[in-house]
Amino acid sequence: MTALAAAVWLSFRGFRTEPAGRRRMALLVFRLMAALLVLVLLLEPGIELRAESRVRARVALLFDTSRSMKFPSAPSGPTRAEELQRWAAQHHADLAQLAARFQVDVYGFDKELQPADLGRLPTDPQGPSTDILGALNAAASGGTGGRPLAGLFVASDGADNAELSQGVSPAAAAELRRLNAPVFVLPVGAQALKDLAVEKIAVDDFAFVRNQVTVDVIVTARGFGSTEVPVVLRREGQVVAQKTIHIDGSRSRYELKLTFVPDRTGKFAFTVTVPVYDGEAIAQNNSRSFVLKVIRDRVRVLLVVGRPSWDVRFLRQLLKRDPNVDLISFFILRTPGDDPHSSQDELSLIPFPTQEIFQEQLKTFDVVIFQNFNHRPYRMSQYLDGIAAYVLGGDQSFSAGDYAGTPIEEVLPVALLPSGPTAVDETPAQVHLTESGRRHPITELATAGSQNESIWAALPRLPGLNTIGPLKGGAQTLLVSSEGRPILVIGEAGRGRVLALLSDSSWYWSFVAAGAQQGPRAYETFWHSAIRWLVRDPALTPMRVAAERPSFEPGGEAPALDVQVRGSDYGAAAGAQIAVVTSSATDPVPRPMGAALAGPDGSARVILPPLPAGAYKATVTAKRADGSAVGEAEDAFVVAPASRELIEAAPRPDLLQAIAEATKGRVVDTSDALATLPWRDPERVEVGQRTSKPLWDNWKVLALLCLVVGTEWTLRRRWGYA
Amino acid sequence: MIPRECVTLTLMLTRRTFVGLGLALVARRTLAFGEAARLMFAQVRHGGRWDPRPDGLSRLAWEISKRTSIETSPMVKAMALADPELFRYPMAVLSSDQAFPPPADNEVSELRRYLSYGGFLLIDDASGTRGGAFEQSARQLVSRIVPAAQLGRVPRDHVLYKSFYLLEGPAGRVAATPDLEALELGGRLAVLYSGNDLVGALARDSLGTWEFEVTPGGELQREKSIRLGVNVAMYALCLDYKEDQVHIPFIMKRRRI
Repeated sequence: MTALAAAVWLSFRGFRTEPAGRRRMALLVFRLMAALLVLVLLLEPGIELRAESRVRARVALLFDTSRSMKFPSAPSGPTRAEELQRWAAQHHADLAQLAARFQVDVYGFDKELQPADLGRLPTDPQGPSTDILGALNAAASGGTGGRPLAGLFVASDGADNAELSQGVSPAAAAELRRLNAPVFVLPVGAQALKDLAVEKIAVDDFAFVRNQVTVDVIVTARGFGSTEVPVVLRREGQVVAQKTIHIDGSRSRYELKLTFVPDRTGKFAFTVTVPVYDGEAIAQNNSRSFVLKVIRDRVRVLLVVGRPSWDVRFLRQLLKRDPNVDLISFFILRTPGDDPHSSQDELSLIPFPTQEIFQEQLKTFDVVIFQNFNHRPYRMSQYLDGIAAYVLGGDQSFSAGDYAGTPIEEVLPVALLPSGPTAVDETPAQVHLTESGRRHPITELATAGSQNESIWAALPRLPGLNTIGPLKGGAQTLLVSSEGRPILVIGEAGRGRVLALLSDSSWYWSFVAAGAQQGPRAYETFWHSAIRWLVRDPALTPMRVAAERPSFEPGGEAPALDVQVRGSDYGAAAGAQIAVVTSSATDPVPRPMGAALAGPDGSARVILPPLPAGAYKATVTAKRADGSAVGEAEDAFVVAPASRELIEAAPRPDLLQAIAEATKGRVVDTSDALATLPWRDPERVEVGQRTSKPLWDNWKVLALLCLVVGTEWTLRRRWGYA
Repeated sequence: MIPRECVTLTLMLTRRTFVGLGLALVARRTLAFGEAARLMFAQVRHGGRWDPRPDGLSRLAWEISKRTSIETSPMVKAMALADPELFRYPMAVLSSDQAFPPPADNEVSELRRYLSYGGFLLIDDASGTRGGAFEQSARQLVSRIVPAAQLGRVPRDHVLYKSFYLLEGPAGRVAATPDLEALELGGRLAVLYSGNDLVGALARDSLGTWEFEVTPGGELQREKSIRLGVNVAMYALCLDYKEDQVHIPFIMKRRRI
């Protein structure tokens, strides 16, 4: 174009001195026409012919099909899903009107979006979660034929548990605006706005006994005015912690901490509950359960010693070295008959805190060891009730320690004789395993049976034994002398266990054995195993039951228990009859729930019937074919929804309103007609056929160019120009 | 009423109970599981004059029995370091008043085993001479037990000085050295060296009179020697029991008195 303009300008310069204006004008016109024709040839102009038609915009209707829609829309009313169905039936004509104007796409949504039939919305929705934003995005980008989006319609309870679970964040609002279409929302179940829920519990999987446990609880309250709400933590029905929160209606989430100190080990089901108030949307979310395993951090051992001896010295040294043992020891260093030839201030002795130990602190110990201890001078018999576990031994113990007739004798696995010269038998004793001792973990010094037996047989002889009366029912003798005198007898007493070692020379198995080139390993293994057995170390429990999982889904899913049946002698109880009873926090009465027969290896799986939501304790008992009891074991489990869909199911019309506001849509009432909503109606045409016709590609243009150029040349020559 | 293990217990008990206790004590001693249940000293029989104070250890055992709840045996077992029976007596005493021939390697090896598995050895220099021949022999022996280690001073706040009596320092027939020395194994004193003839201060003749004069402190020093002997035996049996937290406030209070 510039070149053409320059050429015209230069040519005009050549005849601008022409005095005749008509000539000058004629030349200029011809040259301009020539330039124009050259330009036409260069630009190749043409005409395009198109067949066009107008396109209908698209409307997406989204209906919530998540499981929260199964909750009632109003107290004692139909479910939210049923309410939605009723709305669809009432709006049949309205929707037909809408379909006349727009392409209407109908979807169901929960975790994902899927096409749906408006006439067949589910009455029993099973969607595992609710993702409203994801559904809107998917619906907006879907559709056929690239139709413009006139708007979206969402019918839901608003119980989102995905990106909008915490409300419409700035990022979510920006994403909603990018839809570029209004979202009209129909809140379902909004009539049941009142709801109190234990929304979340945070607690470790395990805790240490006698150490404070903190349970973080989040309670949500919607539709409540100013009120005080008690939050209670129960362990299998028993209240262990309680706090009151003040709900003032200004916010919906309330965080609190419940603390308690577990007093025994095991696996327990806990439940956090808030009261169910009249008119609440959902009663099921007013309690939540969890299972907590309480373990020992260290075994607390109280060692009470009648007088210093080598047996005491080696045992105390062993326990002190054990990082898993917290040892408190008290030695009687001086009896009333001893005369130290000094004043009290020259001695390092302290008063023996009998009352403090045996009345105030006793329950804080896992194991109490009376070693060669004559309790009578210290008048301790009044305190000896309720001790969990004992280990005794020595010439001041058992019959010789005047324990006959005391509470100690009641829990001992052996009967005692009156104190007298025969209370101790000084005949050296070679140790042998009994049949029970061959299987029992306390006396397992080697995994191979024959090797275990030979280790015990090789240990140094003990210099003497306590004399006892007959064994009590349920007692087991694990070690005997060559002549059959009991050396180690164990038994159970209430929730505790008792171990009676009828010697004060177990140190022979350490130091004297070391002198015989055997080393102290047998001694150390024996005592470590004994302590573990006494405190019911789970690894040494003969009969075990374990729920397949700590939590099961309510309805449908049947809880399964794996049972391992071994007798107290640790032998597999093949063919034992297993019976399971369960109790829960709300129903403490044990109910029979299942039975099975133990296999050849003593194991069995018991499938329980599906249980309603709650915290359960399963107690498994096993009996032999002859009816004799084998043992009992317990485990705890919870039946509770794992998904947030059923936990955080309260309707959230506020969230739906925020979505509508972010997209310039609005909240729709059930009586509103969809066809009358202010849908966006953008113009969109569709091109059917297209034809192009060139305007320059013919002889006429060329002939005209030749004519113009020729005329201009002729005139220029006639008027005397070069 | 809180029963006590100290003197005040006697005052709080009735006369009838007290008599009963006395009878029970006597009866108890007849019931013991033979010698194995009692504290019995082993006297190391070495190549030199291994028994310079024949009556001393029996006297110490008697004093311990009379003053504390420890059951002791008046017998003293004399045995060589390589004797496997030595392991039935976790507390051994090595003594002399002159040099002794170096023990054989197998004897040193057995002694090392004895000490590392929990044995306790009291080395008592009966000569009472600092840097004397016995001391040199003893130090050579200790250096062979644990080659990289040597005897070190026992600090005055060590539990050894408060295991029964509250003591200020060492004592013995003489005051040749101001401190006890020890070899520590596994966090406990395994070898204790006394350079002041501790056992000599306790020795009596057959008529029961003191065999040696105690210098320079006289009878007060002898009483301190007995108390140190009691504390050593108590330490061997109880180790660091008196360092348990429960004892500390009482001991601190009495130390200030």
